Amino acid sequence: MLRVLLVTDTDKPIGDMREALARLGYEMLPELGAPQMLHGRVESDRPDVVIIDTESPSRDTLEQLAVMNETAPRPVLMFSADPNQQLIRAAVDAGVTAYLVEGLDVGRFTPILEVALARFAHEEKLRQRLVKAEAELADRKLIDRAKRLLMDRRKMSEQDAYATLRKRAMDQGVKLVEVARQLISVADLLG
Amino acid sequence: MRLGFVALSDVAPLVAAKLLEFGHRHGLTLELSRQPSWAAVRDKLLAGEIDAAHSLYGLVYGVQLGLGGPQADMAVLMVLNRNGQAITLSNRLAAAVQEAGSLKAALAEWPGMPVFGQTFPTGTHAMWLYYWLAAQGVHPLRDIESVVIPPPQTVDALVQGRLDGFCAGEPWNAVAEARGAGVTAVVSSEIWPDHPEKVLACRRDFVERNPQAARALVKTMLEACRWVDTPEHRVEIAPWLARPEVLDVPVAWVEPRLSGRYEGAQFLRQPRAVSFFDGGAVNYPRLSDGCWFLAQYRRWGLLRTGDAASDVTLAAQINQTALYREAAASCEVSVPDEIRIDVLCDGQRWGGSAAVPG
Repeated sequence: MLRVLLVTDTDKPIGDMREALARLGYEMLPELGAPQMLHGRVESDRPDVVIIDTESPSRDTLEQLAVMNETAPRPVLMFSADPNQQLIRAAVDAGVTAYLVEGLDVGRFTPILEVALARFAHEEKLRQRLVKAEAELADRKLIDRAKRLLMDRRKMSEQDAYATLRKRAMDQGVKLVEVARQLISVADLLG
Repeated sequence: MRLGFVALSDVAPLVAAKLLEFGHRHGLTLELSRQPSWAAVRDKLLAGEIDAAHSLYGLVYGVQLGLGGPQADMAVLMVLNRNGQAITLSNRLAAAVQEAGSLKAALAEWPGMPVFGQTFPTGTHAMWLYYWLAAQGVHPLRDIESVVIPPPQTVDALVQGRLDGFCAGEPWNAVAEARGAGVTAVVSSEIWPDHPEKVLACRRDFVERNPQAARALVKTMLEACRWVDTPEHRVEIAPWLARPEVLDVPVAWVEPRLSGRYEGAQFLRQPRAVSFFDGGAVNYPRLSDGCWFLAQYRRWGLLRTGDAASDVTLAAQINQTALYREAAASCEVSVPDEIRIDVLCDGQRWGGSAAVPG
């Protein structure tokens, strides 16, 4: 079940939004006692979605969480009575997760929630892919360095150096990059 | 032209520009739009709802890098002020510091993790706070918890014991003292004398598409900064800042520090007043200033790429120095030297390592 934190620190009416969302099957986390509690509550309750008004002064608190903590809930969904849909759309295109919910019609709200979440999941996947690609690149660099060490010091051909590394990995039952790392650290030690 | 701002005393040049319609001479009519958060300033700049904004220096660089939020090419048109920020400690922590002899010693004995507030993750206040803590041997990411609290809420948070200290712009440090919630421990000019603070920011494509308007805006704001910088005009503008649609606090909490009077408190170094013009020394968007923020982001792990050389290139793309020089020349405002060497509170010299030859 999706865990939703609703931040209501502006004077816009939210009506029966809390009850309506609960009826739709979302788990509504308890309201904040004070705006200053937002940081702690997001850290402790780990909501999937934080719904916050575009005009809320507490929005910067969520910015901090997004910068400092990669697992912080990023799909910050905002509702606004601002009639200028075009501006909202421009903000969405710019990467700001902002939506207009006219009159806060909860029926229209659900698809927006789902879209925001799907988008966040997509971005998260891209981010993880990037992290993985970076790690793979770093591994390759290590293996290359180890290979070059063997080629320089043992006068091996590139193929032999690679075969040596691979055989050692097989024998020890560890990843190739581990063997490379061991070799490099020993070489560093011996200078 | 629509300008966004956040409720802080250093918005004075914008308020003066509107009040006295400095823009009319340059064919501009300004409209000011108060924003509830820095994120709102950013979103509305990106969406085109506001054309330019009174912005934290670091906000512009954070958006350029896409740190924790949307990425966009940004521009700094000019610096709007120096100094005028401070760090407040709760009465309890201030007493503990006095007793223990140092902040580091006081925090070492502090029950639980001390919590400090600042205003935006990549903003100036986060960086002043981190720099000041680190200069005293306190690691800002390990030894304390740093949270973002909207400045008008910091005083309540201090009263309720949710914060042990915060770094923010005035009048909020003055308000904390006036309400007896805490004491100003250090003013930002003690951390970095005459540090750059707020800038006039916009999207880069706005400058590219409307160079005339951007130049007119810089001229307008240069004249406003010059006007508001005199002692008499600071006193004159204070009641306008105090009004409900700007700061919504008593003028007695705004005017003294805006005029550079830090009454009652003892500081290691004489606080330097917030400065809006100083013969034009304030306003030039020096590249090394931008590089300082990039270097700090790298120091605290917010930025993992680039180096001193690429920082200068990036700063040169963001800071519109050529446009500024043209505007300054037509207003007969002198432009200071590109290179400025400062000594910060930890004894480090800063001139923008790669920006300084030799």
